[in-house]
Amino acid sequence: MESSSILDSLGVEIIGVMAPVSICMFLVVLLTYSLSVTSDLQIRSAANLVYMENPSDSTTVKLEGSLANAIVFVVLVAAVTFVIVLLFYYKFTNFLKHYMRFSAFFVLGTMGGAIFLSIIQHFSIPVDSITCFILLFNFTILGTLSMFAGGIPIVLRQCYMVAMGIVVAAWFTKFPEWTTWFMLVALALYDLVAVLVPGGPLKLLVELASSRDEELPAMVYEARPTVSSHQGRNRGSSLRALVGGGGAVSDSGSVELQAVGNHDATRNVDYNAIAVRDVDNVVERSPPVVEIPREGHFASAVSSSELSTAVGSRGEIVVADEEMSPLVELMGWEDNREDESFEKGIKLGLGDFIFYSVLVGRAAMYDLMTVYACYLAIISGLGCTLILLSVYNRALPALPISIMLGIVFYFLTRLLMEPFVVGMATNLMMF
Amino acid sequence: MTVAAGIGYALVALGPSLSLFVSVISKKPFLILTVLSSTLLWLVSLIVLSGLWRPFLPLKANVWWPYALLVLSSVCLQEGLRFLFWKIYKRLEDVLDSFADRMSRPRLFPTDKLQIALAGGLGHGVAHAVFFCLSLLTPAFGPATFYVDRCSQVPFFLISAIIALAFVTIHTFSMVIAFEGYAKGNKVDQVIVPVIHLAAGMLTLVNFASEGCVIGVPLLYLVASLTLLHCGKMVWQSLIESRNQS
Repeated sequence: MESSSILDSLGVEIIGVMAPVSICMFLVVLLTYSLSVTSDLQIRSAANLVYMENPSDSTTVKLEGSLANAIVFVVLVAAVTFVIVLLFYYKFTNFLKHYMRFSAFFVLGTMGGAIFLSIIQHFSIPVDSITCFILLFNFTILGTLSMFAGGIPIVLRQCYMVAMGIVVAAWFTKFPEWTTWFMLVALALYDLVAVLVPGGPLKLLVELASSRDEELPAMVYEARPTVSSHQGRNRGSSLRALVGGGGAVSDSGSVELQAVGNHDATRNVDYNAIAVRDVDNVVERSPPVVEIPREGHFASAVSSSELSTAVGSRGEIVVADEEMSPLVELMGWEDNREDESFEKGIKLGLGDFIFYSVLVGRAAMYDLMTVYACYLAIISGLGCTLILLSVYNRALPALPISIMLGIVFYFLTRLLMEPFVVGMATNLMMF
Repeated sequence: MTVAAGIGYALVALGPSLSLFVSVISKKPFLILTVLSSTLLWLVSLIVLSGLWRPFLPLKANVWWPYALLVLSSVCLQEGLRFLFWKIYKRLEDVLDSFADRMSRPRLFPTDKLQIALAGGLGHGVAHAVFFCLSLLTPAFGPATFYVDRCSQVPFFLISAIIALAFVTIHTFSMVIAFEGYAKGNKVDQVIVPVIHLAAGMLTLVNFASEGCVIGVPLLYLVASLTLLHCGKMVWQSLIESRNQS
């Protein structure tokens, strides 16, 4: 009985993505719950350039206005993505990286700072301004450094990705209700187009990156196992994790060669059964391009609406070997070359984190019941996407399935389930 | 203080499942996925039910038989769903076994199967507690509490948490019983699960009488502990059997 049952290792990769998403959503819900009283003010940003929603407006006005808002937002996002594609095409990679760092600094410093400030006010935490400033500055600088630098533990980078997701999502939940829904739907559709249609900006970006064998400068959560990885087999990968993504490029040539040889073997396994899919879904994924319109936190700042932080994907740079290494790892073919285990997990764009959390945060403003329903819907959508990912072995948009399920479940819960459950439970009837 | 009360109610309902989750489920990612999918299945069943009953809502507060019908229909649907869940699991088990063969790893151990059943049941139970108790708990974090007329001795939140705890227990362990029953073709176990579920649902109808919860809740706990006892006995036997075989 020394060999462990297959249950122990199955699905590690999926949970590796779901856990941070869940944490992000949970914290956003907590934030919106505890701060909901203080955030009455309307904010002006790229998402409501055209129309400021007013609760007293008639339904048609709201509908048209928020539709216009959503369209403008998506057009902006698309435009900025094309700009990023252009910059990347002409090899302004360093510029892009610095830009990402700058926007991370900006997001963490100003938006995060504002959120910390409101937390401090709301719970009346006794802290003086100098300490607060120093702490915030340290937090921000560390986050900025962790973006593309080597030598920083992957755990830290993952934490900062989640933190940025939380900050931006908490900010986005302040949008008016209708605009939020339309924006989510529009983004999900845009994501679908941008990743799948030939010539879509994200697809271009991913293909460009894979043809050049480069890392895509974008904010992406990498679910690659952290240092304390299971089975303790991969010294190489934990080392790599310490070295950081930057070091990957140098060996990728050799890894790629080696992976091509193994590609067929992988394929064979893949034909055999569905279960394999559970395992080898480690292939790349491309997040939706979600540019975070971080400019919008002051009413005046609208014009600088170059959205920052394109969340592209570090696309399928080396699909073949990525596909192989999870198989090696999960199935425990330990005889395979240890040192070259090119360990990369699934990658999820920051935008997915943000917009999942925005949906859940918006649901939290109605009731807890809708939060649970939306959470389950989003997570199952994410699960479906991951399974599809392992079937198709290519970058896929993560937003559409989850967002659609989330919205459907939100309205079903709100319209159908709530009166039913409340009616039952207040009479102490349960089943 | 009120936050403490709210957390306390939540822990009354979900504390045991939380510790089950932490100690058994969370170590194996596959079990977490099972919990999530079974929770989703339960949520879908609840949405379907509420869709069916939506035209008749709100039910009159003084007639009890519509509620009985409602509980009956809900139990029927959910037991059907449990059978569906079993079918899906059966296929999954085959896939997993052939996968394990190919990887030259051992097939699923009997304990693995029990754990999957437990995870499935826990998903149902948690979904119950979350939607019937936890989602109504928001006001409990505020400065007041709430009593229903028919059960005036205990705050509504506390009584619903207590009932939810009983149902979490019943759902969790009746799934284990059902899976064992289906796997071994044991007719008694297959039948006893819907009976337990129906009995528990009907017992909540006792709460409809004024101060009925004084009687209804202990009876419910009797059912829950019987389920627990039966499940424990059955698991013990099957473990002994599998040890003798190996």
